[in-house]
Amino acid sequence: MLLLILGLIFPTLSLSITLTLSIPPSPPLLPNPHTLPPSTHATLHSANAHLSAPLSRSNTLVFSNLTKGSYLADIHCRDYMFPPLRIDITTTEGEGLGVEAWRTYRGNEWENKGQRLGGGAGDVVVEVRPLGGKEYYQQRSGLLSFLKSPMILMALFSLALIVGMPYLMDNMDEETKKEFQEIQSKRGPASDPASAIQNFDIAGFLAGRGGGGGNAADDTRRRS
Amino acid sequence: MLQHCVLALALLIPSILGIFADDAFSVDYHLALLGLPQGPATFFHQPYQSSKASLLYTLSERNVVGAVNPKDGSLVWRQPLQSTSNTTSGFLRVGEDADTVVTAVDGQAAAWSASDGRVVWTHSLGDAPVHGLEILELDSGKGRAENGKDAILLVGGTNPSVKRFDGTSGTIKWEYEDTSGDAPLQVSASSTSIYYLSTHATFTGGLKIKITTLDPLTGHKTDQHVISSDSELSSTDGILFVGANTASPIIAWTDKTRKLVKINILGSKTVSTFTVESNAGEEIEKIAVHAPRKISSLPHFLIYYQTSERHWAEAFHININSASITKAYSLPKLAGRGAFATTTADANVYFTRITEDEFSVVSSASHGILGRWPQKGSRTSQYAASFPLHASAEVITKSGSVSAIRCAVVYSDGGWALFLNGELSWTRHEGLASAVAAVWAEVGDGSTLTEELEVEGHANPIAAYIHRLNRHVHDLQRLPQWLQNLPKTLLVGGIFESKGEEISQAVSAHDRFGYHKFVFVANEAGYIFVLDAGNQGRVLATLKAATLASDEKWTSSSLQISHDGQLTVKDPATGSQTVVQMPFAEKLRSPGFSQFDIVDQEKTLFTIATFDPDSGEIQGRKATPTDIIWRFKPPLGDRLIHISDRIANEPVAAIGKALGDRRVLYKYLNPNMVLIVTANDAKSRLTVFLLDSVSGDILYSNAHDNIDATRSITSAVSENWFAYSFSVIPSSTSPSAGHELVITELYESYLPNDRGPLGSASNYSSLVTASPEPYAIAQTYHIPEEISSMAITQTRQGITSRDLLAVLSETNSIISIPRYHLDPRRPVNRDATKIEQAEGLFRYTPVLDFDPKWYLNHKREVLGTKHVLTTPSGLESTSLVFAFGGDVFGTRISPSGSFDVLGKDFGKLQMLATVAALGVGVFVVAPLVTRKQVNTQWQVA
Repeated sequence: MLLLILGLIFPTLSLSITLTLSIPPSPPLLPNPHTLPPSTHATLHSANAHLSAPLSRSNTLVFSNLTKGSYLADIHCRDYMFPPLRIDITTTEGEGLGVEAWRTYRGNEWENKGQRLGGGAGDVVVEVRPLGGKEYYQQRSGLLSFLKSPMILMALFSLALIVGMPYLMDNMDEETKKEFQEIQSKRGPASDPASAIQNFDIAGFLAGRGGGGGNAADDTRRRS
Repeated sequence: MLQHCVLALALLIPSILGIFADDAFSVDYHLALLGLPQGPATFFHQPYQSSKASLLYTLSERNVVGAVNPKDGSLVWRQPLQSTSNTTSGFLRVGEDADTVVTAVDGQAAAWSASDGRVVWTHSLGDAPVHGLEILELDSGKGRAENGKDAILLVGGTNPSVKRFDGTSGTIKWEYEDTSGDAPLQVSASSTSIYYLSTHATFTGGLKIKITTLDPLTGHKTDQHVISSDSELSSTDGILFVGANTASPIIAWTDKTRKLVKINILGSKTVSTFTVESNAGEEIEKIAVHAPRKISSLPHFLIYYQTSERHWAEAFHININSASITKAYSLPKLAGRGAFATTTADANVYFTRITEDEFSVVSSASHGILGRWPQKGSRTSQYAASFPLHASAEVITKSGSVSAIRCAVVYSDGGWALFLNGELSWTRHEGLASAVAAVWAEVGDGSTLTEELEVEGHANPIAAYIHRLNRHVHDLQRLPQWLQNLPKTLLVGGIFESKGEEISQAVSAHDRFGYHKFVFVANEAGYIFVLDAGNQGRVLATLKAATLASDEKWTSSSLQISHDGQLTVKDPATGSQTVVQMPFAEKLRSPGFSQFDIVDQEKTLFTIATFDPDSGEIQGRKATPTDIIWRFKPPLGDRLIHISDRIANEPVAAIGKALGDRRVLYKYLNPNMVLIVTANDAKSRLTVFLLDSVSGDILYSNAHDNIDATRSITSAVSENWFAYSFSVIPSSTSPSAGHELVITELYESYLPNDRGPLGSASNYSSLVTASPEPYAIAQTYHIPEEISSMAITQTRQGITSRDLLAVLSETNSIISIPRYHLDPRRPVNRDATKIEQAEGLFRYTPVLDFDPKWYLNHKREVLGTKHVLTTPSGLESTSLVFAFGGDVFGTRISPSGSFDVLGKDFGKLQMLATVAALGVGVFVVAPLVTRKQVNTQWQVA
């Protein structure tokens, strides 16, 4: 009724409004919106109203003849996720219908509006950018990803150390070697770790004889 | 170190179970359907002017417009139109060399990019019906647009109007309103004028055709005249054809008995009359006019006649100068039904005749056959007689003769096939798009092992022992065959070695994992399709189950298959039951058949709950005698929205849920739970009731306010839980907007290790004592999208967790929501304790985002799914899924991971090679180690 009266007083007022959601190129995620599938569409949902708009050739989603109300706008796409929007079509004195668009979040209170994305009277264009791509497929845990696992990397590194240490020692110049051997002897009876493992007295260890093997390798094993 | 290894292994186990990229498109199958193509709205067209290849465009009876690649029958694009009515007649037109196609259905006119299906412009028409659409092919004037040609639309309503739309922007250039009160008929255009045709009823009951000529540039009326057709025409059904965009468009109509055909060249006042050359007593079933739609083509057309026995056609020529029509020649009468397709090449017009076994092409100028191709390759409808309904063709001419022909034929069984020079290149089963019911079937040769074991379990020990010996002897008979096939099985390692094209091969194909099931699908038109779910959903056969009247449809039918392979179609609307005769019935039967099905032959123990549409209530009655023992009436003002119940014989592996502290919450397992969802439109309120279908007791109920009752509301029940979803309107009580999913779990008692009021009772009947009320835990999740349908996965023993399958109609997908995400016992507003973590619980978040890895359809777009069926496979880990109602989609899913089967990444050869390498290694290293051991022992001492 109010609209009608307003319409009578100001016959030039726009009583319906066109909202255009535009998807601009947004690199690196979506450098070319022309690659979006044709099934991409937007919906506007409010009490007892459900509108749908398909994607146009110019990457826009156009809703025309919108009436007053508060709408939840969603862009549905096979390849990308888009943020939900809150669209309010309001009547402002003397200007007819106006549009306000906010970024909203699912589960938030409806009155808790997010960032304002645009608005105005008459025909309004709101730019919407994708939040992310949709990754449908799961990767097989193949040999490569197995090797990439940090635990395996650690194990491989220590293996390389055990195998490579004697060679490293051989290639050291005399002084450093001496110095190193001194440090080793200070620590305790140094020995080849490989032979230490081989000579490890399992029975003694299980019987609880501390340091049964009598060498450092035994201790390092327990620490690890 | 050991700890490290365990951790490393734990890291390898995936946290989310998605679809592997190499499994996608191979374990799942998808028939992307449009629906049965409409005759005049199906044509070949080049998507843009310089394109070398053409696409096959169609508007289907389900109001889906789309393009199909004629090479392989794959879908290029499609768009469902937003029709405000259920009409199956829309309009699809394309301008010469245009890169857009224009559609009009009731309520919407739109232009679509011909190459990728994106919208160019769209125009809402409100509730007005559409009566005609034409493209304006103007030779002169400034009406010629670069991209799209202008469209002329005839819209009905109180005051019918003709509108001219700008081809590029979709704005209305002019509008002509008809206030005379005549019924709008059609709109037509020639190179110079626009004709608006309407019918005017005379007091004798006849119809007069009124032709109004409009100026294409301004839309003003330039001429109007009435053709006295009232002696023949009593309804618009008699109007055969209104041509457009030819040098001289025509209107053709026939009388009630179809003895005469009258033709008027639009713009002139003369009417030519032709009598139909039929034998006495022969009833003409169908007359159709085929005319080119091109301004520059020759003004020739063809009239096709069809009786129940035979068909023939006559070609006519129009003399533009004298505005007269003469019959040029007639094509011979042939037995059976046929179809004609019109093709234009430059100015020449060619008519392609499609009979049941041949394609032949004639020129419109003379009756000499320019090319003839016998039909090669059979379609699968060998079990139902089908005939061509309509066709579209593309011909290549070389020096007067036709060198090649491509012909897309729509058959009466819903098949759409393309023949290249008479050879079948592909078939699309568009009839499946209107599927209303489906049922699983499996190959069964008598009885399965489980049934045999059940027999043994119930017999006395001696009889059981004898039975068992017999079984083993019987099994031994199959040993030679098994040994024979063993090398093949080991080498090939595939699951389906013999992929049967024929149904006889398919039912005898080897099936190791129980993946090889069949689906019977019934569609609206009364056809039954047999699909091989084990072989990419191939359609093995089409059967005609019932002959329905033209206005009759199966809408709410259900299919049932018995343990001996008898397929029954039940139609609750009419109460009819049809038993379908299948030529291979002895091979197929209902899956999961067990002895329980035949325990109660008398059915005295069962209560059957039925919905009575007259009173709007649900009635529970004993099977025999059929007394109503309870009634359930929705609250005043509510309407019934959805009923769901537990699947019969659903196996439940555990009767309780083990908590983190080793105590047990006992599940409320009532096999007779029925969930009823009602909604009140005025109050925007949704109410759910959980009923015991035996006693009619209400076990649980809940209500939600501020819901949108116009949006889809759906539910599902399984085991001891149920779920439902709806859309909410923001309000003070539920302050957020969007869609919500509620899950409720039922337990016997809220105390762990307590079995509630029934305690240790060994027997219990809902009829004798009142049903104990379960302890319910519910939780609501905000979901990003509306759910239009739900289903629950099923596995053989019910050990695997049950995922909730949800159909998302907006994104055309089907997702499988893992059960642990929905657990209502997730702790709210705090992190899970150690004990809760051990149970697999984690902190509750109100928003449940759909992980893309949950999407069963991944990159495929499954349009219009109405129902999802699941069935167990032979493996406990795997459930088979079949979705239908629009597209057909099927896959298999492992809700708890594929723990009992190796994936594709497992290489048999790799494993054998590793074993071999290790073996060699042992042989090589063994002497070295021995030597070293001997050395150390001698040296150290």
